[in-house]
Amino acid sequence: MITESFSEYNLDGNTLPEGFRLPPPDDEEAEEFFVNIGPQHPSTHGVLRVVVRLNGETVVEVVPHLGYIHRSIEKMAENQTYVQNIHLSDRLDYLSAFSNNLCLCMAVEQALGIGVPERGEYIRLMICELQRLQSHLLWWGVLGMDMGAFTTFFYGFRERELINDIFEELCGARLTVNYFRPGGSSIDVPDTFMPRVKHLLKIMPKVLDEYSNLLNKNIIFLERTKGIGILSPEKALSYGCTGAVLRGSGISYDVRKHDPYSIYDQFDFDVPLGNTGDSYDRCQVRMEEMEQSLRILKQAAARFPGGPHRSQPQQNYKLPKGSYYSQVETPRGLLGVYIVSDGGIKPYRLKYRSPNFSNLNVLNELAAGHKVADLITIMSTLDLVIPDIDR
Amino acid sequence: MAQGGSGMGISSSGASVLVRQAGELIERAPGGIKLVDAVELLVAWGRANSVWPLVYATSCCAIEMMSTIAARHDLARFGYEVMRASVRQADMIILAGTINEKMAKNLVTLYEQMPAPKYIIAMGSCAISGGPFYYDSYSVIKGGDRLVPVDVYIPGCPPRPEALIQGILQLQEKIKKEGRRNPWKVRDTLKVPFEDIFSKAQAEWAEQEKRKDEELREAREQFKRDKPASTAPKSARLKKEEFPTPPRRKPAAQGISNWTLLQMIQKKFPAVEVHDHPGVSPKAVAELGPDYILDLVVPPEQYREFAEYVKNEQSLGLDMLIQLTCVDWKDSFDIVVQMLSCRDGHKLFFRSRAEKDPATGDAEIATISDLYLGAEWHEREVYDLFGVRFRNNADLRRIFLENDFPGYPLRKDYDDPTRVVKRPY
Repeated sequence: MITESFSEYNLDGNTLPEGFRLPPPDDEEAEEFFVNIGPQHPSTHGVLRVVVRLNGETVVEVVPHLGYIHRSIEKMAENQTYVQNIHLSDRLDYLSAFSNNLCLCMAVEQALGIGVPERGEYIRLMICELQRLQSHLLWWGVLGMDMGAFTTFFYGFRERELINDIFEELCGARLTVNYFRPGGSSIDVPDTFMPRVKHLLKIMPKVLDEYSNLLNKNIIFLERTKGIGILSPEKALSYGCTGAVLRGSGISYDVRKHDPYSIYDQFDFDVPLGNTGDSYDRCQVRMEEMEQSLRILKQAAARFPGGPHRSQPQQNYKLPKGSYYSQVETPRGLLGVYIVSDGGIKPYRLKYRSPNFSNLNVLNELAAGHKVADLITIMSTLDLVIPDIDR
Repeated sequence: MAQGGSGMGISSSGASVLVRQAGELIERAPGGIKLVDAVELLVAWGRANSVWPLVYATSCCAIEMMSTIAARHDLARFGYEVMRASVRQADMIILAGTINEKMAKNLVTLYEQMPAPKYIIAMGSCAISGGPFYYDSYSVIKGGDRLVPVDVYIPGCPPRPEALIQGILQLQEKIKKEGRRNPWKVRDTLKVPFEDIFSKAQAEWAEQEKRKDEELREAREQFKRDKPASTAPKSARLKKEEFPTPPRRKPAAQGISNWTLLQMIQKKFPAVEVHDHPGVSPKAVAELGPDYILDLVVPPEQYREFAEYVKNEQSLGLDMLIQLTCVDWKDSFDIVVQMLSCRDGHKLFFRSRAEKDPATGDAEIATISDLYLGAEWHEREVYDLFGVRFRNNADLRRIFLENDFPGYPLRKDYDDPTRVVKRPY
C-alpha cells in the first residue's frame, strides 16, 4: 500500500489523482489521503487495483483501475473460427467456463438453426448447475477468508473438489474445459457421471446446513455484512448490475427464469431475492441459489434421458451475414455474446458482455461512507473475477 | 537512504564475505571439507523446506494454486503453505497466470523488492510463453522469463495441483544442490517483453525435424533391405459416428413484441429503420422469428434524443442497459446500444453511425453516460479500444490500456509489429 497525503498531492495546483471527482474537503479538520490497493493484493481477488480516498478510516471515494489482466481476447477472436473461439471463452471467467462456452455455442446455433438432442440439453443444464455450485462454493470459501476466517476456505474447497472430479472425468480439465460445441457437447458423459452426481446430491444438503451454521449466525459476519454496502434497485438497474448483485437489491431478473434458454423452462425452481440490497442479502441470495441449483440437479438426474449427446457437427460453421446475440445466466450474472458476422468462418467482431464489468462499476456507490475494512467485504460479496472484467 | 544502505551492506554482503572466507579456511584444514559440506547440506535443507511464496495470482492458474493450498492437496506438507501478501516477507513468486504489459512493471518491481535468495516458478503456459495469447495479442507478455529469471517451468493450462507440487519439489531439489554457489547473487531482470523467439526456435526445430526424417528414411531403407518380405499391419479405421440433426428449439418470445415496439418508436421517430431490413412490414417482422431482437438504425443527430426517449418512455419498459459497444466498418463506426427489459424480458438494440475522420480515423458521438450510469465505463472501453470520442462524457480516459499506448487496437487497420506476433496459419 502506498499512502499519500492530500496536501502533498495538492502542492502544485488543485489536481486530484485520475478518476476522482469530489472536490477537496471544505472542513479543515478532515484528514484526507489516498491509499492504493493492488494490483498485487490478496483481497482484490486477482489483479484489480483500487485507489481509495480516505478520511481517517472512512472511505470517501473509490476509483477502480482496470486492465492489469487485459488479454485482448476480443481482438484474437477475430482471427479464429467459432469453434476455435470456444477455448478462449473459457478464460474469460474461468469459474463459469461451461456457461461461457454455452453462450457462444448458443449464438452460433441461433444463426445456423442448429438443434440440440434432448440428452445434449440435459448434459448442458446439469453441467452448468454443477458449475454454479462450485463457483459459489469457492466464493463462500473466499468470503470467509476476506473476513479473517480461514476455516471456510478449507470447507468450501472440500466439496468443490468433488465437483471438479466430475468435470475432470468429463473433459479432462478442471477449470478451462472447452467442452460444449454448437449442437451439443464434444463428448458424451462417462458412466461414472450419474453415480457421482447422485452422491453429491446426497451430501450437499447436509453440507449447506453445515455452512449456514458455521457462518450465518457468526456475530463478526453479521456485523460486517448487515447494513453494509446498500445498493438501491434504481442504481442497480442504472449500472446494469446482474446476478446476485441485482437480485440482492430485490429485482427479480434471472435469465434462466425470465428469458429461458436450453431447457430451463421445463424445470421448477425459485429465484431468491433480497430485501435491502446490503452485503448480507447478496450473501444469502448466493447461499439460496446453491439450494435451487441442487433442486434443478435433482429433477434433471431423475429424468436424465438416453440417446445421442449432440447433433451432426459441420465442417465449418459459416454464419450468415448479420449480427447475433445470446445471453446466459452465469454464476455471476448475465453474460452476453454479440457476434457480428460478415459471412465468413471467423467473426467480424465478437463482443462479450461480461457481468463483472458492470457489477464492479457500483463499487464506489457501495463503499463510500463505510470503513476501509468493509470495502474488502463489499468487493467479496460482489464476487468478482477480474479476467472477465478486462477480457 | 545512504546511512541505511551502508548499514545494510555490512550485515548482508559483509557477512557473506566472512562466511565464505571462513568456509575456505576450514576447507583447507585436513578433513575440513566434510564439515563444510555438512553445514552446507544443513543450510540448503533448511532453506529448501521453508520457502514462503508470494500470493501473486493473476488469472486462471490462481484457482489451481488455491486448490493446491486447500484441503485435498495440502501444500503444507512441503513447508510452502505460508503464503505471504507482501513480497518483502517472501522467498518465491509463483507466476500464476498471464502477465500483460500493464502488469509487467509491477512484476519487475516485486522481483527487485524481494530479498535474496529468491526464486520464481512459472506456472502454466501463459507464464511460460504467453500460452494461448502468444499470437495476435497486443497486450500479453510472451512469457514471464522475458522479465524476470525463472527457475522452474510448470506446463499446463492450468497445471493440475499435483503438477504444481511436482514443480515445487523440483525447486527444492534445485535449492538443495545450490550449495555455496552464492545464491545471494541477484540475477538481472530482462526487458524484451514482445520479441518473437518462437520463430527462431521453430526454424531450429524444423532443421532438427529434417535431420530426423533423413535418419528415419535411412533406417526404413535399411529395414527393407534386411527384411524384404515383411509387411506392415493394416491400420484399423475408426468408425464414423452418425449424429441426428434435430430442429432447433425456438425460445418463446418475451414481453412486448417486435412489431408493437417498432410501431411505438416509429410514431415518435419516423426516420428510424430496422437494420438490414429497410421498409419492413408487420408480416416480415413476424417472420424473423421469436428470437430475433429488434435492431434499429438511428440517425446520428437523433441518437442522444432517441436514448432519452427510450429511457423515459415507461410503456417501452426498457429499464436496463446491457451494454454499449462499437463495430468498425472500415469507413465508419457503428455504436451499438443494447437494452433489456427486466420487467417484461424483451430486448431492443439500436445503433448509430459515427463517421470516421479520413485523416486520423477518429470519430465522435454524443454521450449517454448521464442517462445510464453504467454507460460511462462502456463508453470508456469503446474510446480505449476504438478511439471514438463521446461528447460530454465526464471521465473519458482509457480504461484497459495505458495512457501512452499507441493506436486503438480493435480497429481493423491496427497493426503494431513491435507487440503483435501474427498467427502464421
